[in-house]
Amino acid sequence: MTDATPSTSSSTRPRSILARFESLWIGPGFAVLAVIMFFGSQYFKTPSAPAPMIDKSALTRGAFRKGADQPMANIGGFMQRCNDCHQLFTSEMDQTRPLAQHGHIHLEHGINNNCANCHAREDREKLILRGGVEIAFSETPRLCQQCHGPVYADWLRGTHGKTMGSWQTGSPDQVRLRCTECHDPHAPAYKPMAPLPSPNTLRMGWQGPIVEHGAERNPLRRWLAPEVHETGAPAQHGTHKGDPETPAGRQEGEH
Amino acid sequence: MQLPVIGNRDGCASPYGGASRPGMTRRSFLRRGAAVTGGLAALAAAMSPLRDLDGDDLPSFQKLLQKHYKEMSPEEMEAALDRIRKEVEKRYQVRPDIRDFKPMDGVEFVYALNLTRCIGCRRCVYACVEENNQSRDPEIQYIRVLEMPRGSIDIEDGDHHYERSTVPDEHHYYMPVQCHQCANPPCVKVCPVEATWQEADGITVIDYDWCIGCRYCEAACPYWARRFNFTKPKLPKDDLNPTMAYLSNRPREKGVVEKCHFCLHRTRQGKLPACLEVCPTGARKFGNVLDPKSEVAEILRTKRVFVLKAEVGTLPRFFYYFDERDPIDEHVVPSQAAQAVGVAS
Repeated sequence: MTDATPSTSSSTRPRSILARFESLWIGPGFAVLAVIMFFGSQYFKTPSAPAPMIDKSALTRGAFRKGADQPMANIGGFMQRCNDCHQLFTSEMDQTRPLAQHGHIHLEHGINNNCANCHAREDREKLILRGGVEIAFSETPRLCQQCHGPVYADWLRGTHGKTMGSWQTGSPDQVRLRCTECHDPHAPAYKPMAPLPSPNTLRMGWQGPIVEHGAERNPLRRWLAPEVHETGAPAQHGTHKGDPETPAGRQEGEH
Repeated sequence: MQLPVIGNRDGCASPYGGASRPGMTRRSFLRRGAAVTGGLAALAAAMSPLRDLDGDDLPSFQKLLQKHYKEMSPEEMEAALDRIRKEVEKRYQVRPDIRDFKPMDGVEFVYALNLTRCIGCRRCVYACVEENNQSRDPEIQYIRVLEMPRGSIDIEDGDHHYERSTVPDEHHYYMPVQCHQCANPPCVKVCPVEATWQEADGITVIDYDWCIGCRYCEAACPYWARRFNFTKPKLPKDDLNPTMAYLSNRPREKGVVEKCHFCLHRTRQGKLPACLEVCPTGARKFGNVLDPKSEVAEILRTKRVFVLKAEVGTLPRFFYYFDERDPIDEHVVPSQAAQAVGVAS
């Protein structure tokens, strides 16, 4: 009887090689798996990097700079009102000589290079419009719009400048920042500023310096970045951090 | 009553038990013993990550039984908020002010970003992280500022890893990308559990308690706006923003997707998003497009506006626009320029 003799039973129904040596590979196989799982958990961690520490003062919300509603001057460490001095000592607003006071002011306002274009001669705590009307420092938009008409129109509609407080039109919280709360009136163009750190997100693919794929087919590149054309190499304006051969320094040196 | 007989005590043949019992040898015993030992060790090793399990990570019964956001009654929502309050307090020792803000009537939010003004300083990125309690380790950011080579509008040419001493770079312009709050959102369509949906004011939100972490939405988004919590988010206690909402910036768990929600805990109270408030150049504009007097409605009417990847049909509520450069160019001396064209200045 086949029932009573297992050896014949296995011979009549041949088992696969794998099954025949089942007891040979299962044990060591599990043991290897156990080692991989136990120690692997230490190594197979999601790659991640902590966010860099940043200067919280960079995240100040609201006005980019402090507009001067009440102009003050720092004279010998004391904050003085303009007229404290200017009513005692008369001084001409003369562009031909260097400023004796207010040395920190560097006028970089294009063709608008005369103090008296904006500042009232008589009352130094006032600004002056073209018609001779004196206005308070808080009314700067009235002054600036004399030259910057299109921007002023945009500002009135809210498409230029910054609105704080609320998005609800007509809400008492809604505040449209004035010209001098973003722009330095003496040098209104924005200065280049340091960007906050780049993200740590996993970067797939090429890990070296970024080569702009658009470099060769960019229609403007030939004229905007002549060095590309000369060397024939793609300009590496955007470079990944950690790349020692960043041409950024060279770029800035040229300017 | 006859019980079913298991095994082969009655002599019934079976390829394993029937064969082995009579023929149990020292060798087969050792082999099987080794297999069983190895198997148990592997099981133990596979369970070993549980050593690191923090009891706080286990969802409470209340959370497991919690209904979908849209099905919760006000009382159930209050209970859920209370549970979250306690969980946050336990984890961060800060009592959060968490509420559930509903969309306002007659409001559809729209974002407009002025590419002429953006200088790529990344302040918006970090203001968003600070506001919305994103994980600091691993770092999660909703806004990605692309540095684009001038002459190209192909975002494949953009680089968000740029490192410079100062921005802007004269050969580039900057294009921040975040959730576009599409009117036809592919991310919502692919969600198998309806954990993400579009609200009446146009904001696409996520119920973090309902998300199963399949990341379909992340794959469906053409703007790379969604982020996944691969690990338990780490956030210093001092950096926690205690003003939160159920659908926006409450702390997330490992294994859920998150994204920009137009700061709905602020904007549904009439405030402005954090990224806008921090922007040093006023490049960002936000408002109710249904209000014709709003800034965004004005921009859509008067500016040269475009949306990113219009061809994919997502109908974004996030618009980019340009405006005229300030006509005064510092490289041009007006009197000389006037002379050159024969006009007396």
